[in-house]
Amino acid sequence: MSDTSIEADLTRSANGRIAKERLYHGLLFCCAALTVFVTISIVATLAIDALEFFGRVNPYAFFTGTEWVLRSENPILGILPLVTATLIVTIVSALVAIPVGTAAAVYLSEYASDRMRSVLKPALEILAGIPTVVYGFFALVYLTPWLQGLGLDVSLFNLLSASVMVGIMIIPMVSSISEDAMSAVPDSLRQAGYGLGATKFEVSTKIVIPASISGIFSSYILALSRAIGETMIVVVAGGSRARMFDPSEPFANLLNSGQTMTAAMVQAVTTDLSGGTAGYYSMFAIGLTLFAITFSMNLLSNRIAARYREEYQ
Amino acid sequence: MTRNDTRKADDSDEQRTDGSGPAVSEPTTRPDATSDSLLDDSFDVTSGSLSGDADAVLETRNLDVFYDGVQALQDVTIEIPENGVTALIGPSGCGKSTFLRCINRMNDLIDAARVEGELRFEGKNVYDDDVDPVALRRKIGMVFQSPNPFPKSIRDNVAFGLEVQDKAGDVDETVHRALERAALLDEVEDQLDSSGLDLSGGQQQRLCIARAIAPDPDVLLMDEPASALDPIATSKIEDLIEDLAEEYTVIIVTHNMQQAARISDKTAVFLTGGELVEFDDTDKIFENPEHDRVEDYITGKFG
Amino acid sequence: MATTDESTGTWFGADGQVSQLRGLLFKAGCLGATLLALFLVFVFLVYVAIDAIEPGTADPAWWATVATTVAGPAIVLSIYYYRFAPRAGEVAYTALGLPVAATLLAGGVSIVFRHIVSPHEWLALVVASLVAYGALEFHGRARDAGALERVVVGAAVIGLTIVGVPGLVPSLRTLLLSLPVLPMAPLALLGTFVVPIGVGAGWSVRRARESDRAGLIAGGVTVAAAAIGAVAGPVVGVSWTTWLVLTTVVGVPVGLYVERVYRGGKGVSGLALPVALAAGVVVCAVIVETAGFAGPDVWIDWEFLTSAHNRTPREAGIYPALVGSVMMIIVVALAAFPVGVGAAIYLEEYAPTSGLSGSIVELIEINIANLAGVPSVVYGLLGLALFVKVGELRPGIVIVGGLTVSLLILPIIIISAQEAIRAVPDSQRRAAYGIGATRWQTVRTVVLPRAMPGIMTGTILALGRAIGETAPLLMVGVAAVVRISPRSFFGLFSAMPRQLYSWAQLAKPDFYHGVLAAGVLVLLVVLLMMNGTAILLRNKYQRRD
Repeated sequence: MSDTSIEADLTRSANGRIAKERLYHGLLFCCAALTVFVTISIVATLAIDALEFFGRVNPYAFFTGTEWVLRSENPILGILPLVTATLIVTIVSALVAIPVGTAAAVYLSEYASDRMRSVLKPALEILAGIPTVVYGFFALVYLTPWLQGLGLDVSLFNLLSASVMVGIMIIPMVSSISEDAMSAVPDSLRQAGYGLGATKFEVSTKIVIPASISGIFSSYILALSRAIGETMIVVVAGGSRARMFDPSEPFANLLNSGQTMTAAMVQAVTTDLSGGTAGYYSMFAIGLTLFAITFSMNLLSNRIAARYREEYQ
Repeated sequence: MTRNDTRKADDSDEQRTDGSGPAVSEPTTRPDATSDSLLDDSFDVTSGSLSGDADAVLETRNLDVFYDGVQALQDVTIEIPENGVTALIGPSGCGKSTFLRCINRMNDLIDAARVEGELRFEGKNVYDDDVDPVALRRKIGMVFQSPNPFPKSIRDNVAFGLEVQDKAGDVDETVHRALERAALLDEVEDQLDSSGLDLSGGQQQRLCIARAIAPDPDVLLMDEPASALDPIATSKIEDLIEDLAEEYTVIIVTHNMQQAARISDKTAVFLTGGELVEFDDTDKIFENPEHDRVEDYITGKFG
Repeated sequence: MATTDESTGTWFGADGQVSQLRGLLFKAGCLGATLLALFLVFVFLVYVAIDAIEPGTADPAWWATVATTVAGPAIVLSIYYYRFAPRAGEVAYTALGLPVAATLLAGGVSIVFRHIVSPHEWLALVVASLVAYGALEFHGRARDAGALERVVVGAAVIGLTIVGVPGLVPSLRTLLLSLPVLPMAPLALLGTFVVPIGVGAGWSVRRARESDRAGLIAGGVTVAAAAIGAVAGPVVGVSWTTWLVLTTVVGVPVGLYVERVYRGGKGVSGLALPVALAAGVVVCAVIVETAGFAGPDVWIDWEFLTSAHNRTPREAGIYPALVGSVMMIIVVALAAFPVGVGAAIYLEEYAPTSGLSGSIVELIEINIANLAGVPSVVYGLLGLALFVKVGELRPGIVIVGGLTVSLLILPIIIISAQEAIRAVPDSQRRAAYGIGATRWQTVRTVVLPRAMPGIMTGTILALGRAIGETAPLLMVGVAAVVRISPRSFFGLFSAMPRQLYSWAQLAKPDFYHGVLAAGVLVLLVVLLMMNGTAILLRNKYQRRD
């Protein structure tokens, strides 16, 4: 038995086959690498135009300015009013979404019968599938008049209605991720609780929630990052007048029209598509800020979520 | 069959190995070579150089396997003869399945695994750089612990190997022959187009065997092929394995010592730490093992 | 359960009342929270429906007729299914939803044949693709070629048959189009669209019934029904394109489903619901017509679906935006699906998991997870910079909008495809590798077929997201109002959500409560059907595993 013939045998026709395999390997790798290209080009394109912007506008003035007036001649570009509005939307929507979403997650994970879950989960999913422009329409056309009907002195465009709607929009996000985290808690922990004579309420609140707390937090962060980046609801229902937070009238921002960072970007591009003005370039600076905030929040959320996965898997 | 001759020859050197057993503690692992050398001194030279033995289809020399730095196989040297059934037994975690996966380089699919040493298949070291593991696996079929037919028709399951290996010829005929060989044809002849998943567990495993032998490999590896089956299905599989041994070199990992005793011609005993402690004719291993540890394991004192 | 017994006793049920009340309140609170969100949105949806339909404008007699002929039987049947025949209930809802979803799809397909590829272009494309496929297959069998040769031959064949070299070599496709004699348009569509679907239907029936005759009948009926329409359609006032598309896209799946239900013999009574509804509608129409009851003054009507935006609310419609959305979705699907699935395959099947390259792959995965959370408006900026500024494409054209949204949904597709691929049991891969399959063979023959339902579910959900995205379209300058549908992928377009936004900006009550509501309803129905299909697909798939 000569070695050469066997060698040829084990590697026979391997050339064509290996070449084909390499080809597919390369193609598929390119697909995966494209996602890195996307991130890099987001950073690069935003940074280039943001630098252009900071060449025209003093960064210090931009980040500390308390007035935002977008016009082609002599715009006043201070980002703080936009940040204020974004913060308000985020906080109010969190006040709506976190309690409701967490409670929904507890119900779905701990209490709901299989039949109930098979109805509620797809329903929540469909809620998550409604486009944000439709939520914006709900807020503008139905929610704002309701609020007026309740006796609140809200203007036609107002941040309150927009923020509540953003909150409703992110409920499914909080509930589904939190529920995943709670479902990942092993049953043995629950049984240990029942074995010690705990009630279902005690098991839910004292065992399941603490055990899945990192997953729940990660859902909050993700949902808040979504609220920060939400555009269409605030554009449609929130109006477009940037307003700085005034401590003497704490609720004025809520009841009146306001402009978030995302809304300002939309306004900048729709008023000046050809480009060239400082206002146009401002949207890249805002976009970069927004990207940095949301990207790091997502990173944080994934980090926390990875922890609970490690704990129970 | 030539097997019978060697078996007799091996039987004859029991006395010798009894005496020298304790002395060969670490490199136990070439019983074939030693036994041959005792039989006839003139064989000594050829059997000493491992690749010379025409009977051995698979030989390893000082094979080590590590998973992430943890050693799973330790310095295994073995010669597996052509045709017949070789059983690999030992307690869980002893490395017998690892050894099996080394043979057709399934360990390549585990990133953490690292293989050192030589494993020669028909004289060629399969871990040489120029060996394509895919080509290797086309010569060495494998049957897994639990039946894993594809969610395709019975015919497509058996024809899968022919399809991926670009084997020309009459597919239908090959499928029929493989099913017949796997003792399944009578039961499924009129439902070749129904899903392989509709079969019972034992039938599924025979389907997997048919799938493995359809492309006509030289060696058939079986990783506890009956462990997920009931006793009746198990005995069918065992009969089948004995049948297949006429044509193929079958290497089977099993937990079940009675099974190894029933069906195998040769038995390798791995013990904890991935060490091949003894490799000899099955009768010898079960009746009069050389090592006390093997005897303890076989009589159930340990493992 | 571990809660204490409330019977009067000494050691049991001591403080059971208290803890039970607290537990009950907690449970009720959680349920209430779950329902609150759903209820709020449900109320909004009812408002939208009321605005779009304006039920108040109809005669009470009209409503009474509808209630007795359509709603009544449907409600009675639903109660019957719920109480006595849950299996038939499932059949009923599928049998009702399937035609609706299929009709929507048929609308999309007829838009494609009307605006994007004419029947002749389709014919040329199909023939050219067949020739290309045949040539590549022949090359692959005849020669054991290396990677480079494969790529070169592949590119050359596709170039010669489908793409062509602009200005130098016309492709086979364009050559076919310039033939002096082409089959008539209906015939072309019949041969290259209906016949393949008919063959597919026949094959599936043949397999299921294990009878050649049944297969032949199924295929024959499909083609015959379509062919009759090509002649008879214009007589009854339906264009032949519409007829062909309806018979194939709606008729075939509905027919196959009914056939399956009959064959399975379970829940056949569920088929009564759609039949009863259809009969009810006909009866209702006859009664209303003869008695002269006035129906509601609906905003969402055929006019609305088929006309362009207009300053007069009653004249305004959504058609160009609908066409724009369909074209954009085609771009998104063609761009994002292959890349997304390819990336998922790489990450799950090819990527190293240890060492330096392993940590690079891990970084890629983290990056993808983060990209999924980047605000859509930022993707809009990226699209603006990448395609308009760097790529020098015109802002606001279909391809720019589509590619921008593709980037947005790419991470979503990758993540869901990864999950689907991960769910394929390892034993299947081992079986394939053990028999000597290469990695790609394993992926193609074992992993992908098994993961496909999951991948499709994720992709449909992601495409649903793509249809509703507005902010990226605003950023890349998609026009507020387009009165003429785009003629090519390089034409200016508007999409449904973009159109809704521009109506919202008009700030006129008639637009708010009429046109806008109707538009929202159209968008939501499309999305509901897509998401419903995806969820059904997933449930079926999960049950099977």
